[in-house]
Amino acid sequence: MLVYTLKRSFVAFLILIVVSALTFSLSHLAGDPALTIGGEQASDEDIEAIRLLYGFDRPLYVQYADWGWRALQGDFGESYHYRQPVATMIGERIGRTMLLGFLAIMFALVISIPMGTLAAMRPNSLIDRFALLVAVFGQALPTFWFALMMMIVFGIWWRMLPISGHDTWAHYVMPTIALGYYATPALMRLTRAGMIEVLGSDYIRTARAKGLSPTSVLFKHALRNAIIPVVALAAVWFGFMLGGSIVIETIFNLKGMGWLSYDALLRSDLPVVQAIVLIFASFYVVLTLLADLLNAYLDPRISVR
Amino acid sequence: MTDATLMPLRGQQTAEEILEPSPMSKLRKRIFKNYSFLIGALILGLIIFIALMAPVFEYLGWIHDPLDQDTSRRLLNPFWYDKKVDPEFVLGTDKVGRDYLSRLVYGAQISLLIGFSTMLISGFIGTVLGVTAGYFGGRVDMVVNFIINARLAMPVFLVAMAAVVAFGASLWVVILVLGLFLWDRFAVVMRSITMQARDLDYVKAARALGCSTPYIIVREIFPNVLSSLTVVATVEMANAILLEAALSFLGFGVQPPTPNWGLMLNEGREYMLFLPWTVALPGACLFVLVLAINLFGDGLRDVTLERER
Amino acid sequence: MYLKSFVKFAAAAALGTMMSTTAMAGPDDDSLIIAWGSTGPIEHVDNYVNTNRTGIWFSRMVWDQLIYREPKTFEYKPLLAESWEQLSDTVWQFKLRQGVKFHNGEAFDADDVAFTLNWISNPDNGVKVQRNVNWIKEARKVDQFTVDLEMKRPFPQAFEFLSGPITIYPNEYYAEVGPDGMHKQPIGTGPMKVVSIKTAEEYVFEKNEDYNWGSPKGEAQVSRMVVREIADVQTQIAELLAGGIDVTADISADHVDQIGGVPGFTALQAGTMRTGYIGFDAANRSGHEPVNKLKVRQAMAHAIDRESLVKNLIRGDAGVIHTPCFPTQFGCSVDAAVKYSFDPEKAKALLAEAGYPDGFEIEFYTFRPADWAEAIMGDLAKVGIKATLTKMPYFALRDKQRNEGTTPMFLMDWGSYSMNDMSAITSHFFKKGPDDFALDDDVAGWLEAGDTNSDPDVRKANYAKAIEKITGEVYWLPMFNHVRNYGYREELNFIPYQDEIPRFWQYGWKS
Repeated sequence: MLVYTLKRSFVAFLILIVVSALTFSLSHLAGDPALTIGGEQASDEDIEAIRLLYGFDRPLYVQYADWGWRALQGDFGESYHYRQPVATMIGERIGRTMLLGFLAIMFALVISIPMGTLAAMRPNSLIDRFALLVAVFGQALPTFWFALMMMIVFGIWWRMLPISGHDTWAHYVMPTIALGYYATPALMRLTRAGMIEVLGSDYIRTARAKGLSPTSVLFKHALRNAIIPVVALAAVWFGFMLGGSIVIETIFNLKGMGWLSYDALLRSDLPVVQAIVLIFASFYVVLTLLADLLNAYLDPRISVR
Repeated sequence: MTDATLMPLRGQQTAEEILEPSPMSKLRKRIFKNYSFLIGALILGLIIFIALMAPVFEYLGWIHDPLDQDTSRRLLNPFWYDKKVDPEFVLGTDKVGRDYLSRLVYGAQISLLIGFSTMLISGFIGTVLGVTAGYFGGRVDMVVNFIINARLAMPVFLVAMAAVVAFGASLWVVILVLGLFLWDRFAVVMRSITMQARDLDYVKAARALGCSTPYIIVREIFPNVLSSLTVVATVEMANAILLEAALSFLGFGVQPPTPNWGLMLNEGREYMLFLPWTVALPGACLFVLVLAINLFGDGLRDVTLERER
Repeated sequence: MYLKSFVKFAAAAALGTMMSTTAMAGPDDDSLIIAWGSTGPIEHVDNYVNTNRTGIWFSRMVWDQLIYREPKTFEYKPLLAESWEQLSDTVWQFKLRQGVKFHNGEAFDADDVAFTLNWISNPDNGVKVQRNVNWIKEARKVDQFTVDLEMKRPFPQAFEFLSGPITIYPNEYYAEVGPDGMHKQPIGTGPMKVVSIKTAEEYVFEKNEDYNWGSPKGEAQVSRMVVREIADVQTQIAELLAGGIDVTADISADHVDQIGGVPGFTALQAGTMRTGYIGFDAANRSGHEPVNKLKVRQAMAHAIDRESLVKNLIRGDAGVIHTPCFPTQFGCSVDAAVKYSFDPEKAKALLAEAGYPDGFEIEFYTFRPADWAEAIMGDLAKVGIKATLTKMPYFALRDKQRNEGTTPMFLMDWGSYSMNDMSAITSHFFKKGPDDFALDDDVAGWLEAGDTNSDPDVRKANYAKAIEKITGEVYWLPMFNHVRNYGYREELNFIPYQDEIPRFWQYGWKS
């Protein structure tokens, strides 16, 4: 188990190196960083000086190694545009994105688990068909369009919710729904499939035969088992949501990491972009690593392989 | 992907299946029993037809040139409004006076083109990686697995935006970038199916007979994975269309004056509070297209792959 | 349908104004919320560290200059300096105002002025825009309220800088905290004090009660002000209508009509001196055949219907511009410019003469919203020129232009840093600097002569020659001046200015 853990962690680390190296080289194709730092009115000499000062004259792999080494120590450099440490800028905003992602995934679970369960209890019934309909329609609804429509209806016409910002809980309502509903179809289908399988299994039949109440069978036995893969998938979706937050945060002017990355891309603020890609990637890698280790723990055969 | 692994593999047919009337009539029956497949195919077919016939419609004078602009007739309303309406422009005009209907029609072309091309590129990459990994296993599999994981760890949307900034925004850059990113599902599915197919008796037999590896992969393995491939392909096509629309919506995608739904949403957003149709129309088109592809894909899965029992 | 949604809208808006007066900002608690930011957040509020124009509104609220430039007539008036005289070709003496206080209580005197000018002119301190300060040689304190400013060479535009980007800092405070401290807690003499700053999010100000010494800038009209950074125009409008903000300055011409039609709101357009132009790769850096031919450039000048563009898309008091500078700027003689009328037939003839009877294809670049570029492309298409548009972020485009030179044709604009002198625009682009794509020796020579001479007539004569050659050769096709469009609550006293400098502290509620 220990060997397996170490091996998997090493692979995870390797993945982060590959991902960050790719982004690093990609973003350095995006334009001369010296010009970005110099700004609108910099002369050629200014730019040359900046190039030397920041070390842009060095080969790309040296720059990457340098950046990577610092990043390992939590130093992501300084934003070209805001001239603040990137770590500080992200630190101020990461909480909002995490909160948004968390609320969104909770919203998705709260919708999809009951609906999936209901659908599974009566396969091919009206409820099942309705749930399927919601899933199919939900998957086709472009997130950003849905967000705009909500903004018009709830923000302007009915004036129920604030339109932009992140000051109060009310500010998170529309972004949460916009981001969360997109995950519901997948989670709901998984709940339904899992429930159908579990409900048909021997031990549930046994439990029923023993005369346990249907609610107790459903909640204590069936749901508990069916929900594990759903939660695992939700963890992965949480990673995707952080990425999806770019569009939503931009629309609702919710200044989290997604907004920050959009803003940074607009002005070629590479250190910020690189740091955010690395953080998003780390989230995914860590979540999957944990899921893998959990699986290995539950099923020791995996770690032997 | 539990469904995909449940597909019937050639050579695995049971006696009852062989004795059943004919696979074609069974397939036909399943197709007609499957509404989502029918509806999806119908809408999708209609959209493809409209998209392909757009130049003909334009020639017939039913729609305008989507690029023909005239700032003196800008932001006309669609027909159901009372004011500022012109029967020439049924669905109104955009901010430089181009016909909205024509742009929607030609926009279908672009969306389908992007969805289809992206799917081809990502399908190719994913299939090659997946089949290679599944067939050879061992170290090859480990390497491919690593590549898949690295790809999954990348925040697609963010990296795609960065790539568009780096290489300049154009239709082909967007297609290429999305194509290079959206192959993960292909690879994962192809890998697991190939692994199963590899151990089938007749594949083993072919190997024993000394058939070349490419021959085995192309002739023996590939037919087995084809139906799952099409199912994944529809999912990825819908995915690509939505991603592209989101990119264009943020200004990191297709560039004007290309008629494109994401771009129309981007341009219309400015007016959405006062002229909600500017975003409602392209958004609805996008929704219907993706819905049709999803229905079609769902139906396809049910039709070609055996249902869970 | 239209009517219904409109009624719903108007009702909602009216309701909102009622609600927001009680709940949000407004006349009752004497506060004001402004949305700003389509051009992006201020990266650093220290005037000498930021490089973009976006910081201007902030610097004018918090700090003062020695000299005040009257925004309508462009006359120079006393601000922190009460009077001035020229002691020699290169030395100005300023008598300073007494009784002015910085926000932290520090008294304003010659030490602050001398310190600021010497600090910024020292290249080691790394003022970002060196052009603003590199003409200063030294500042010397003569007595507590007199300062001599020595320039490196005769510099006729000095007052444009002294009334613009050069703001006076408190010497003790700035020496202690430096630019980063100034960013965290800015201290100046200006009409508003900074309460808090959240970079890229919001800025909170309160009225500077000590600003009662008769500054021509006027006292602050509200006791508290919040400026919020909202990048999306449509979000800004939504917030305005929903009562979340009181003023927005980033809307487009169409919104002016739309917002103006909603009860409780007013919208207006005000021209600025920001000058839009189409630039060509005339010096042929990129090897793009067509645009290095004069006849082709002339054909394009005749093909583009600038009047219609201004009338339908820009509107307001924007006008077609024929000069490579804004006409109010010193030296910017409209008479000297070669003018091109809208004449597609002539354009076609010129194209045929140049050897392109069937037109050609060309790449076209911009960073502005695409509708202007699209309208231009539509006109070009009508004479057979097929342009393909690439829209890039500002800095990426500048990078491509400067380093790769692969932009045959581009729609750009320049705000001249609000300086009312032609050198701020024409000399920047045609004196063989990194942004010069014409590389014309004659033009560069005339501009240099105009920039460095202190005789106004000599300057004008040289500038006129440059204008004539630039327009005659169509190195640039000047397009139009930009318009800023404002939407705000109708109870607000709102004052727009042509020099593109927002003066938020002058906005107050009608009583």
